[in-house]
Amino acid sequence: MTTPRFDELIHAPSRLSLVAFLAATAWADFAVLRDSVGLSDSTLSKALTTLEDAGYVEIRKAFVGKRPRTSARLTTSGRTAFDQHVLALQEIVARAGGSVVPPSRSSEQS
Amino acid sequence: MSDQVDPADAARALNEIDRRREQVIRRKVFPGWWWWAYAVLMTALAAVVESGRDVLLWVGLALFVVASGLIDVPVRRAARAASPRRGLGARRTLTGLAAFVVGLLGVGLAAGFGLKAAGVPHPGTIAAAVTGVLFAVVGPMLVRWEADTLVRRSRSQR
Repeated sequence: MTTPRFDELIHAPSRLSLVAFLAATAWADFAVLRDSVGLSDSTLSKALTTLEDAGYVEIRKAFVGKRPRTSARLTTSGRTAFDQHVLALQEIVARAGGSVVPPSRSSEQS
Repeated sequence: MSDQVDPADAARALNEIDRRREQVIRRKVFPGWWWWAYAVLMTALAAVVESGRDVLLWVGLALFVVASGLIDVPVRRAARAASPRRGLGARRTLTGLAAFVVGLLGVGLAAGFGLKAAGVPHPGTIAAAVTGVLFAVVGPMLVRWEADTLVRRSRSQR
C-alpha cells in the first residue's frame, strides 16, 4: 500500500510538470518533454540530472542514424515517490475540506 | 514539510498533474493527412486489383507496401517519442482501432458485393473509395473519442 509522503524534490514547479508527464509515459524523448512541458534545453537538462541523481529518472542516450536521441523514464522508485507525493497532496487538499478550489483549466490556459 | 504547504498550492499541483496526464493522452500521433493518404492508397490498390492485369497488380502491391511503410514512419516516430504508459489504456485504444478497421472491411465488402450485384462498373474501386472516405472521416473522430474516454476515466480514478 502506498503511504503519503510529500516530496520537496518533485514539488518544484518545473520538476512536478516533468515528473507528472513522465508518470503518464513509458519513455519520453527529450524534445517531446521540452516542447510539452515548455522548458528550455538547459532547464530540462538540469531538472533531469537532478531527478537522475535522486534515482527517480533513468536517462537513455541512443543514436537514430547519426542523430543523438535522449529519452527518459521514471524509475520504480521515482514512480513510487510520485505516487506518494500525489497522495500527500490529496491529503492536504482533503484536510482543507471544500475550501480549496483548483484553478479552472480554461483560466489556466488563457 | 507537507504541513507548510498551502492547500491551494496542493490543489494547483494536483491540477497540473491531471493536465500533464491529459496532455500525454491527447498527444497527436496520427497527422491529419495520414488518414487521407491511406484512403487514397486503399482506392488505388482496389483499382489495380480490379484492372485484372497481373503486372499492374504486382507493381501496385509493391507500391502499396512501400508507400504504407513510408506513411507510417512519422506515426511510428511520434508514438515512440512519448509512448503512454500501459495503465493509461493504450491497449484499449488499439483494440478500438482494430475493431474500427474490421468494421470498415465489412462495410467495404458489403458495398463492393452490393454494387457488383447491381451491375455498377468498377464496384471494388468505388467500394474502396467509400471505405477510404469513411476511414479518413471517422478515424480521427474515433481517436478523439478514445482520448476523451481515457481522460474521463483517469479523472474518475482520483
